[in-house]
Amino acid sequence: MSIREVAVADEAGLLGRIYRSIFRVRPVPQTELERSQAVASNFFFHIHSAKVYEETLKFKKTLGLGLFSLFTFVVLVITGILLMFYYVPAPEQAYQRMLDLRGVVSFGTFLRNMHRWGAHAMVGLVILHMMRVYLTGAHKAPRELNWVIGVVLLLLTLFLSFTGYLLPWDQLAYWAIMVGTSIASYAPVVGDQIRFFLLGDDDVGREALLRFYVLHVVVLPAVLSALIGLHFWRIRKDGGLARPSTDE
Amino acid sequence: MNARPQNAEAPAHERFPLKPGKTYGLMCVVPTRTENTGSAAEKQVQSWPAALSRELLLFLVTVVALGLVSYFFNAPLEEPASALHPPNPAKAPWYFLGLQEMVSYSAFWGGIGIPGILVGLAMAAPYLERKRGGEGVWFHHSRSGANWTFLTLMTTLGILTLIGTLFRGENWALIVPW
Ligand code: HEM
Repeated sequence: MSIREVAVADEAGLLGRIYRSIFRVRPVPQTELERSQAVASNFFFHIHSAKVYEETLKFKKTLGLGLFSLFTFVVLVITGILLMFYYVPAPEQAYQRMLDLRGVVSFGTFLRNMHRWGAHAMVGLVILHMMRVYLTGAHKAPRELNWVIGVVLLLLTLFLSFTGYLLPWDQLAYWAIMVGTSIASYAPVVGDQIRFFLLGDDDVGREALLRFYVLHVVVLPAVLSALIGLHFWRIRKDGGLARPSTDE
Repeated sequence: MNARPQNAEAPAHERFPLKPGKTYGLMCVVPTRTENTGSAAEKQVQSWPAALSRELLLFLVTVVALGLVSYFFNAPLEEPASALHPPNPAKAPWYFLGLQEMVSYSAFWGGIGIPGILVGLAMAAPYLERKRGGEGVWFHHSRSGANWTFLTLMTTLGILTLIGTLFRGENWALIVPW
């Protein structure tokens, strides 16, 4: 049955037509074709191939680490947006807002915990994912470019986590960023300029907090999301995940 | 969907019987190797439900695991930031403590030189390793050299990170954390 035929076959009044306008297949696809269409004609899964090699589905092949990285990122985006409703990136208010999350906002502590532990977890998961890719030889031709994209993803993940670290504006945050950004100043010739560019000042202060905030909630997540899209698209273009049968 | 001939094993004259009303002749022989001859067809399955159900499961595992950790452990919050009261030692976030540890030996090499070389090496790695084989197999014997180099570098970074995190106290002196 084609998409059209399916649509005609169970056209059942208004609700059916509304459903059909969003999803092109039945809730539980019955045929191979419909199963393909469930993936290929669905906006959310459009990036996913309609078929996968059975070999690469095995958990021990990937340990699920790429997907764990992705889903942790999803959790971070959701909790991060919720935190944005309470947070103010100004030195006089930022810390007080942390106390409010703890005392006044319902589930505020849980929300902040989720975002913080998620951020630590994501750094670890992405590193582990990189290790699994290398140790299974999945970085080699034709997947070189996707590996390089991956290295950029790792650097972005580190930087995303680092910019978030300053936002609570407590001693831990302040001095970690002080130390972290001083590393940038060890670059020859332009070191101090780089640090000034990051902080918007000679020291960590009002300007740095604002810069890190904008990087943390807009710039880096946007770039990271776009690159993750590219990363997944490349997996398809490189012929699915690495597996011995074709590549050897 | 299933376009593969059922009797792929049968000889060609059985699979493609001559039609009586036609004449046949050999037009040309193409002297190239065809794609995929001799290799068995790989088993593919529909992503729905095989892959998507697993992906959903991993998503649930992620949410539940993060939820549990967040339920039992609270994120740290220290005193308000103060430029006048530097802690001793001040430490970067854990993933930069390997760098900070290296910086304590040499500011330039630890903070810029070596990290730069490592990132460069990482990006070049797939282009440098040109020998094919071993793709999609854990610790394939033909890649043991590359794997050992990689693991040695990662372990070194891991140990430096561990030292910076646990074994450095006041004035960055070595301490025993217990
Ligand atoms: C935000 C970070 C990242 C996300 C969300 C992500 C996500 C994924 C996912 C979902 C896959 C599918 C297979 C799997 O689950 O293992 C994958 C494959 C891959 N990733 Fe990543 N990844 C990230 C970072 C990286 C990094 C840091 C590298 C390497 C430096 C990398 C290199 C690759 C390569 C080469 C593949 C193809 C592997 C194969 O064909 O078996 N990725 N990634």
